[in-house]
Amino acid sequence: MEVLGPADASLGRWRTFADAVALALGANLWVALVLLPGLVSGVLHSGPAQLTAVLPLVVLGIGVWRRSDLILLFGFPSALLVPVAFAPGMANVHVYGPIRFAIVAVGLVGYLLGASVFTSFREPPPPLAERPLTSATRPMASRWRRRFRIYAALTAMSAVFPLILLYTINFDGEVRELIKLKYSGRVAAFTTVLNLGAIGFWVAIYAGFFLGVLRRHRTGDRDLMTSLEKLRQSSKRARPRPQFYLGVALALGLMLALLLMRGR
Amino acid sequence: MRRYFFETLAVLLMGGSIVFFVECIHYLARREYVGAIIVMFIGLAVISVGREMARLALVQKD
Repeated sequence: MEVLGPADASLGRWRTFADAVALALGANLWVALVLLPGLVSGVLHSGPAQLTAVLPLVVLGIGVWRRSDLILLFGFPSALLVPVAFAPGMANVHVYGPIRFAIVAVGLVGYLLGASVFTSFREPPPPLAERPLTSATRPMASRWRRRFRIYAALTAMSAVFPLILLYTINFDGEVRELIKLKYSGRVAAFTTVLNLGAIGFWVAIYAGFFLGVLRRHRTGDRDLMTSLEKLRQSSKRARPRPQFYLGVALALGLMLALLLMRGR
Repeated sequence: MRRYFFETLAVLLMGGSIVFFVECIHYLARREYVGAIIVMFIGLAVISVGREMARLALVQKD
């Protein structure tokens, strides 16, 4: 029979704690996004609707059991959309007022942050001996501090921007009035299209202009290092580059064109 | 000495380009779209010249 040491027992306790946190946050999200709206709107009476409502819980259980980041961070949030897609009445704006929207948003962001932190959190076994590294005594390099600031900013932006976009589409009085005026009879459908468009727009912006730039900012990226070296060499030239002469010629030419236009 | 000359020129050109952008807004307000586009490009050209002056000032500093 295998005897667990104190380190293994501690590790097991932390893993159980992480599982419990992920399960509690996920269940909270399921209640806020599926169960309560389903009961309020009365769409959970049929058998298939009840089956789709239970599906996210099954996915959550599998994710916790397998301790899979992919299932917990992608599979479960995606599964939450299945019952909503099956009975769109659950996502009706009348069910989701601003306060309910805020509660669900906080629950979703809390679940994603909690699941990503706690599932990756593993307490290492206590060391047999300790010897501090010389680098540990030095202050953290500025490039790492800068990188951590960028990570924090990206995390904040990935939560704040989509929420503001969705809030504006669904609850801003002026926008709602405009949609009602221009698309009367198709308000719900057009709002859904706008919501999907806002999320798609934000994902594209985020992937292309924020994460995309960061991906190229890796140390040792050969293309990037070559470009930087070329830039460094060109910036050392003590003479104006062709852009300077082009800028002067363009400015003078356009000013002349403007004067001729005004003189006519 | 040359460094300060280039720095002053860079500041003047970059600051001066803002005038062109403000003028561009005035043109737009008057619905003179062609004029607005021309003034906007003048502003961009002046900024690029100012950027080059700033680069030369940095080279002098090194």
